[in-house]
Amino acid sequence: MIHVIVADDSRVMRQIVVRTLRQAGFDWEVREAADGQEALEAVRADEPDVVLSDWNMPVMTGLELLRALRAEGFGTPFGFVTSEGSAEMRQLAEEAGALFLIAKPFTPEGFRDTIEPCLA
Amino acid sequence: MSAITSADVSAIVDDVFASMVDRQEGTVAPWPGGVPLDGHDVVAWVDVRGPWRGRASLETSVDVAASLARALLRLPEHAPVTDDDLTDALGELANVVGGNVKALLPEQGTLGLPQVAAALPDDPAAHPVQRLPLDWRGRSLVLTVWAADDRHGGAAGAADPPGQEDR
Repeated sequence: MIHVIVADDSRVMRQIVVRTLRQAGFDWEVREAADGQEALEAVRADEPDVVLSDWNMPVMTGLELLRALRAEGFGTPFGFVTSEGSAEMRQLAEEAGALFLIAKPFTPEGFRDTIEPCLA
Repeated sequence: MSAITSADVSAIVDDVFASMVDRQEGTVAPWPGGVPLDGHDVVAWVDVRGPWRGRASLETSVDVAASLARALLRLPEHAPVTDDDLTDALGELANVVGGNVKALLPEQGTLGLPQVAAALPDDPAAHPVQRLPLDWRGRSLVLTVWAADDRHGGAAGAADPPGQEDR
């Protein structure tokens, strides 16, 4: 089973992301993190198969999390789920090593269409 | 700044409610003219800073905010909602709307974290550029996009602690 860490400072949004994963057909084992720092520590403790992270979070942003992971040698597949999906942010995400950026609001179909190709 | 039109903001609201809140389209409409708005006693907002400075806010009543939280969490109609979940849900709605408003801007800035209070902090530098009174399930909420007046120097808000914002 695929193991994912969902990082978002909003508990409500984490719940929506987890629900949307299930609705998209991804019956994954989920761990949750309330900010980038928590997610970083969770990856260090037990590297997941994928990280889905919000961008704008207190303590450590999603982009800082991704850069920290890569700096520590973790190549964990990483995607952003964020309220901002501008071309500039997509470019920043890609340059930092993210596989995709899903903009909020999202649908199960959007999750499936974006994530599935990355699992191949 | 480029003009943020009423149609732009309406499209964002429609999308947010159809995707996140209700799982169906058409649940949000303009509030009928002449009908007084319900009493609003809670507001969530996010600030945008950068070449364009402003704010997106969502005002409603605590009762409606609780209903929104239930809808987002897929809870039964009268399930209890904690203050934390109410604040979190309304803040996240404002955050998603604000992020999509920011995406309309020609030059990117930074988006602050959502904040929630009984009323917006008084900011003489901010003026509304779009104000949409909305009808959601027969209850009222008001979405406003504010722009900062550069003559006053201070953008709407600017109160997030350092390190709590990013692009």
